Amino acid sequence: MPESAWGWLIVTYLFLAGAGAGAFIAAVACDLLAPDWSKSLARAGSLAAGPLVAIGTACLVFDLEAGLREPWRQIYLVGNLSSMIAWGVIVLSGFIPVAFLYALGLNEITFVGKLAKKYLIHLEILGSFLAVGTAGYTGILIAVVNGVPFWNTPLMPVLFTASAMSTGLAVAMIGAAILDISTIKTLSNFALGHVIFLALEGVVLGLLIFMSLTKSVEASASAMTLISGPLSPYFWTLVVALGILIPFVLSIVEYYEYGEMPKFLVVGADLLVLVGGMSLRALIIFSGKPPIIV
Amino acid sequence: MARYGIAIDTTKCIGCHACRVACQNQNDLPYNEEFNRIKEKERGRFPSFSKEFIPLQCNHCENAPCQRVCPTKATYTTKEGVVLVDEKLCVGCKYCIEACPYKMRILDHKKGIVEKCRFCIELVRAGGTPACVATCPLQVRIFGDLDDPDSEISRFIAKTGAQPLRPDLNTRPKIFYKRS
Repeated sequence: MPESAWGWLIVTYLFLAGAGAGAFIAAVACDLLAPDWSKSLARAGSLAAGPLVAIGTACLVFDLEAGLREPWRQIYLVGNLSSMIAWGVIVLSGFIPVAFLYALGLNEITFVGKLAKKYLIHLEILGSFLAVGTAGYTGILIAVVNGVPFWNTPLMPVLFTASAMSTGLAVAMIGAAILDISTIKTLSNFALGHVIFLALEGVVLGLLIFMSLTKSVEASASAMTLISGPLSPYFWTLVVALGILIPFVLSIVEYYEYGEMPKFLVVGADLLVLVGGMSLRALIIFSGKPPIIV
Repeated sequence: MARYGIAIDTTKCIGCHACRVACQNQNDLPYNEEFNRIKEKERGRFPSFSKEFIPLQCNHCENAPCQRVCPTKATYTTKEGVVLVDEKLCVGCKYCIEACPYKMRILDHKKGIVEKCRFCIELVRAGGTPACVATCPLQVRIFGDLDDPDSEISRFIAKTGAQPLRPDLNTRPKIFYKRS
């Protein structure tokens, strides 16, 4: 199926880096805006952010060839600042330690955490910039590739950032339910976040498809692959229905039925968002087609 | 300094694949890896139709997308305008494969790096021509200096109006095609 030189490792990286960055933003938002009753959500988000992005980055490294067999070659990765990969390496190198420090600080783990707690607001500000950078970068990475016209649009970083925010919030909400199931009622407050980001994701995805259909023969062929071609069953079920529409409706109900929705539906909506986020990235990578040259 | 390019007359190509095999020999490639390949295209409708053979390889673009996205600067352009890969710097991230609109880069799993047509730079520097050019039985390919208006390739391009593939992609390729 994949026509791309990049496979599942890169797809997994794009997903995990986005979810980790989104979880960080969710944690910061909860800690700053609603400190008391959303403590478990901030804790869960902060604890998940660093490890998710770190595992994602490991996927990126495992996708290398010579750079994996001879790891010292990875030093060269920042050699050319006109390459988005070089910028990605810089942003990830900054974000991962900040995310881990923030998790230690917010949860007051070990003496490092006690020290980090004093600088929590600084970590939150710096980390938020790096998190937005990480989430947006995953989209820019493929948006600058003119070898694949379907990816070559500024909508891509917007789409990936919106998806990063909703998947990150989903991770934080699931984490909060695991840490303390009794907080599941208060999670209803955050369903509004899902409503906003899933709506944005849906609109941008729609724009991407419609504009690709008129952009070029190749971009149109990619879009057709998704909406009526061989990948369309996955696109309509995993991304559109399960990943966006159903969690969107569930989140609206959850927000208005404050705390009355069954627990499995609350967590279920979040799990669906994660399935949708991963599927979205896989389908965008695998539907990319090169220009027709002759 | 010269600025090397190749002009290809597809109206003379018979699709014998000698260029591909010569290239594989010269570059020590296994049978299933190739730096150049021949695309076959049917033209017209029965009963007046023909088959066109279009030899493809790295275009050694002056505005090379592969070079721009390479994070390690493993991809570079020589003074002669030949785009090469430094084996010691490449990490095998495959970003260049995605970025190349012509899809003329291949992954060498054994070495763990990305490779491509090198215009047989060692033969050219010794005064020869690339293996694909030298071996072509119908002289479909003309190798030479695009900056020298009196070179055979420059005169061929001026006379026939040969064009690169997809000039609209703005990569400024250095392989020119006469297709009709």
